[in-house]
Amino acid sequence: MSATTAPARGTTPRVRTARAGFSATLGFELRKLRAQWRTRAVLLGALLLPIPVAFAIHAQGNPPKDSLFGRYATTNGFALALLVLGYAGQWVMPLLTAIVAGDIFASEDHHGTWKTILTRSVSRGSFFGAKTVAAMGFAILVLLILSASTIVTSVLVAGHGDLIGLSGQLIPASQAWHLVAMSWLTAIPPTLAFTGLAILLGIWSRSAAVGIAAPVVIGFVLQLVGSMGSAEALRPYLPTSAYEAWHGFLASPSFHGPFVTGLIASAVWAAITLGLSWTLLRRRDITGG
Amino acid sequence: MNSAALAVDAEGVVKSFGAVRAVDGITIRVAPGEVYGVLGPNGAGKTTFLRMLFGLIRPDEGTLRVFGRSWDDDGTRVLEGVAGFVEAPRFYPYLTGRQNLVALARLDGGVRPGLIEEVLDTVDLADRADRKVDGYSYGMRQRLGVAAALLREPRLLVLDEPANGLDPAGIRDMRALVKRLADSGLTVLLSSHNMDEVEEICDNVTIMDRGAVAFHGSIADLRAMAPDPGHLLDTTDNAKTLEIAARHQVKTEADESGALHVVGPHDAVSGFVADVVAAQVRLKQFTPTQTPLEALFFMLTNTEAVAR
Ligand SMILES: Nc1ncnc2c1ncn2[C@@H]1O[C@H](COP(=O)(O)OP(=O)(O)OP(=O)(O)O)[C@@H](O)[C@H]1O
Ligand SMILES: [Mg+2]
Repeated sequence: MSATTAPARGTTPRVRTARAGFSATLGFELRKLRAQWRTRAVLLGALLLPIPVAFAIHAQGNPPKDSLFGRYATTNGFALALLVLGYAGQWVMPLLTAIVAGDIFASEDHHGTWKTILTRSVSRGSFFGAKTVAAMGFAILVLLILSASTIVTSVLVAGHGDLIGLSGQLIPASQAWHLVAMSWLTAIPPTLAFTGLAILLGIWSRSAAVGIAAPVVIGFVLQLVGSMGSAEALRPYLPTSAYEAWHGFLASPSFHGPFVTGLIASAVWAAITLGLSWTLLRRRDITGG
Repeated sequence: MNSAALAVDAEGVVKSFGAVRAVDGITIRVAPGEVYGVLGPNGAGKTTFLRMLFGLIRPDEGTLRVFGRSWDDDGTRVLEGVAGFVEAPRFYPYLTGRQNLVALARLDGGVRPGLIEEVLDTVDLADRADRKVDGYSYGMRQRLGVAAALLREPRLLVLDEPANGLDPAGIRDMRALVKRLADSGLTVLLSSHNMDEVEEICDNVTIMDRGAVAFHGSIADLRAMAPDPGHLLDTTDNAKTLEIAARHQVKTEADESGALHVVGPHDAVSGFVADVVAAQVRLKQFTPTQTPLEALFFMLTNTEAVAR
């Protein structure tokens, strides 16, 4: 070791007073996300997985008639894209967001690096904000990639003829593009609610495995709860129901009530999970690592 | 000295984990420019104290000020001019050493050009900086920890057992580095369980035992309190040796094997041994048992030498 850094004896070392703003903290988080293969794998998966899925459904002799838009999925690209959307909302989207959101806090516990970052004049609040924004930004990015890839692949595979709507109405192709894209975008609010849930579970358990798997399991449980007759009143307020809000867009006349309810419910879920997360993190003793 | 002028001013600090009072009302004051040692056996509460200083955990009681700032009043501004680590430094294993430093520098609000290279040089990691931290040895991580701290160009450097887990050459290098940094005017707060290390590096010391202060003062005060050095002596004629001992200011006691434990001031012991040799008695063994400061450390912390 050589002593090049040590200032000459007697001089007062310059005192660092600069502190990272929010954007620097966010940049720090994004840099770490970019460096992890897991992040890239999810983005690549969202881009490429719709291709085999669309081909596989298209190649089926019997269209999945029991599923929404299943009947026309082998002959119409818009129907195919909506069929995939119906499935993706059940567990794929919660999983995709949880892979980053469930890990982004827990990985600091796993690597023992809370102490490394919290001893550098950046507050817990900044990290909480930056990680939350990073996780939510990632969720939106993944959804956009997945939507675009699914819609484009479906249309290339099964064509872009006119679409038969849920009320049996004929939707011209020019309008179907718009409705299918809007339908996919309605998945953003519930996915952000699941992002909040994954963040909460990751912070609470300090384990990425729990942060990633538990939101998916909870998603299934909520679907189950929603399908029970006795919980009928709860149903509209579950984030899992918000994944179905697009059905109204494709009925005639179209209705937007479930979408608005889902939007509010998702916002409340996100607010509650993030509020609890911050309460847990704010005063936690950092003793690990 | 008023609180604002002190680098560290901790008073009556208490922290419990369940039923364990890890830190039990300790008071530690570190003046700027000082090299201060917090010494104690395993579990004494050294790391817990340093974690409170860094705001990683909150004290249950007491006040803690760093350059006059407190966590309650000033939040993260407490850490301005402060850097270091607690326990083993940890980094992101999927980034290289240099990438870790670049990322951390960003959190510091950026660093002046060339500083990253300088600190890598200082800790002798320049040639391995582009390898992933995943493949780093313990000692390399320890040195990267010092580099990450120096990146903040601190006024106060806080190091928790920096030589822990290093090989003998690594320990020597780490001590030399800390001494050089201290000589440059930096205030250093260092924890250790090694009396030699603290004696070699520090001006003042607090010895902790089970969360409480067992001693605090200068190294000179500590030396003055230390008991006489002890030696183990075995000769060809221990009976005659005992007779000679009676004429000197030394205490001797035979153990089961017949060898003699000799305790006394340095001059008395050397005079005694010279007489033994002059009486034609041959020495079979003459070895120091423990250094006076070590003996004092074990006395103050009620630990046994074998517990090391
Ligand atoms: N998170 C925790 N939960 C429970 N007990 C803890 C925790 N952290 C520390 N302790 C206890 O507090 C006491 C002091 O621990 P601390 O790590 O501060 O000691 P130390 O002096 O740093 O020891 P070492 O030399 O082994 O590093 C010990 O009894 C330890 O078991
Ligand atoms: Mg310790």
